[in-house]
Amino acid sequence: MDPLAEKYLRPRKIPSTACSGCGLGQIHKKIVMAIDELGLGIEDVVWGTGIGCAGRQTFGAWKGDNFAGTHGRVYAISTGLRVALPRDKKIVLTVGDGDAFGIGLLHVLHCARRNLDVTVIVCDNLGYQSTGGQYGWTTPEGYKTDSSPYGMNEPNWVQGGRDVLGILREAGATFLARHTSLEGREAVEDIKKAIQNRGFSLVHMPFPCITNFAGRALGTRKPVEVYRWFKEHTDGNVPGKPGDALFKCGVYFDASNSRVEYSELVRNNVAEVQRRYR
Amino acid sequence: MKRVLETGNAAITEGAIAAGCRVFAGYPITPATEIAENMSRRLPQVGGYYLQAEDELAAMHIAVGSSLGGLKAMTATSGPGFILYADPYGWALGSEIPVVVVNAQRVGPVSGITGAPGQGEFYFSRYPTQGGNFETIVLAPASVQEALNLTVEAFYLAERFRMPVTLLADQLVTDGWESLSVPETPDDVAAMGLRVLPRRIHSGPEFYPASDEIDVPPVVLGHNTGAACSDWTPTEQGYDTEEVEAQHKHAYRLIYKVRNHRDLLRRYEAYYLDDNPEVVLVSYGSPARVAKSAVKRARERGLKVGGIRLIGLWPFPEELFTLPAKYLSVELNNDGQLVREVQRAVPKGSAVHFFGKCGELPTVAELQRMIDALLSGEPLPANRWEWEAW
Ligand code: SF4
Repeated sequence: MDPLAEKYLRPRKIPSTACSGCGLGQIHKKIVMAIDELGLGIEDVVWGTGIGCAGRQTFGAWKGDNFAGTHGRVYAISTGLRVALPRDKKIVLTVGDGDAFGIGLLHVLHCARRNLDVTVIVCDNLGYQSTGGQYGWTTPEGYKTDSSPYGMNEPNWVQGGRDVLGILREAGATFLARHTSLEGREAVEDIKKAIQNRGFSLVHMPFPCITNFAGRALGTRKPVEVYRWFKEHTDGNVPGKPGDALFKCGVYFDASNSRVEYSELVRNNVAEVQRRYR
Repeated sequence: MKRVLETGNAAITEGAIAAGCRVFAGYPITPATEIAENMSRRLPQVGGYYLQAEDELAAMHIAVGSSLGGLKAMTATSGPGFILYADPYGWALGSEIPVVVVNAQRVGPVSGITGAPGQGEFYFSRYPTQGGNFETIVLAPASVQEALNLTVEAFYLAERFRMPVTLLADQLVTDGWESLSVPETPDDVAAMGLRVLPRRIHSGPEFYPASDEIDVPPVVLGHNTGAACSDWTPTEQGYDTEEVEAQHKHAYRLIYKVRNHRDLLRRYEAYYLDDNPEVVLVSYGSPARVAKSAVKRARERGLKVGGIRLIGLWPFPEELFTLPAKYLSVELNNDGQLVREVQRAVPKGSAVHFFGKCGELPTVAELQRMIDALLSGEPLPANRWEWEAW
């Protein structure tokens, strides 16, 4: 077994039950590498997940404390948890694109506004894949899915001059980055920065869904071809074909540790009230 | 202990603080807003946190998340917010996370009439989420003092049973002003007969025992117990599973930890039942006080009438209904909800009738007319809107 997995993950989840060729495991591994390189132990991280492929594959894998929340609400759960947990614990959330950018976006925005100290890793399989492959809010425009048989024909969050990371920046997030699961070192480094920011960090990580997205939208389930498509649509830190870049990678915004984190703010306010009224 | 003139909203706030609540998460809504306002003032004074949420979905999730982190937590709302709690309520039920939920019922459906009392969530509080396979605990105060006492009790039960407990109040109880004894020290709490249980922490690894036992410490994150809690059906270790046998164990636990401890949850006030009265009024919350006045008035007139005021609504105390009689359910809704449970519970030879009003209390005179008709066997007076021309 991989020594990193042995150190941080429970054997019951290795190997995971993801489809073969799925990019989710690559993301999972990069997060664990980042945690390890930061010198954090299993007691330092509380790991939360949502539902869908990202939730099912990562829940209960962490050797330390785990939770999986309701769809789209782990951000609100983490708001309460953050206030109750000891200050030095890290909260890492692995969620899907539907969770963060669809059903839960309102809560994500409010957590960004609060500058809540959590690290959200959006494991983006380009749509609703655990339900069989319907389009979502990052599905590339024009591509076919089971619910867009004539091509995804509405604006998404990442093309046409829009970038969901821009919305989050405006909302107050203090660290934002994007990397596909195919990237290596640069992705790990940015996940480390995300975890080190005492504030709201989000790393958007598109990854190849072989079974559903690729099977329908790309017309192939051959990992080599799917990975090639990913690389061709990636622009940024990874050498690839620029132009029709779906995945603009790298650090999007870094204002790490530049403004007070939410639970600290709340604690300071309470301390101030107590000082004044004692 | 201090004696004050206060609202039910203030009573709930003080009850929560006495019970050790240190997080309140809420979203403004009439007629529960004052609970949030009171909490925002009082919690910081005792080192607690008032967290205002972006909506009710977030509010209850924040409360449950705080509890999962080890702090006792509460949220409060009215009907339109209570329906948004369905999502976190189910999560807290399934993951067995203690939390207290207040619903100050108003007139519905939907936004209805905001500042008037209703009792439209009797059944909704029994089934506050989807999926079945659970029982719920619901308490209903009828006065300002009882609002405080039952809030303390709700926290106590939430810890013992590891689950959400709902305080189902109504606008008259939460907005009404009455004299109130507020405990200021743990000794006061004990002197008032109230019980407080500190939060314990489950050390694992069997976080979800397949048994009906209560007093199992809840899952608390951040103590490196290796806890796992999720929205999926759990194994005993808390892992997500699709095994039917695990589902049976989980359902058994959620249902029978409540059903098999009904004696700890039975709360009611029965009056004038000893001489086998012919008519029995059944009610809860503020209309129950009018019902009691009407029964007393009938007794003064020498009529054999009694009453039951339910305090614990769910699990429904069907065992109280042993007397064959003519029952009259008095409720703040026009469709009749409690009446259906009473129909289910009464013994052979009984008849069950309904008197409903919404947005305002029934009057003693109205109930007296009903009592007289029931005793004489005359047709029951029609509901007011049935007389009106339209
Ligand atoms: S459906 Fe797609 S995203 Fe989900 S596990 Fe399979 S390959 Fe991965």
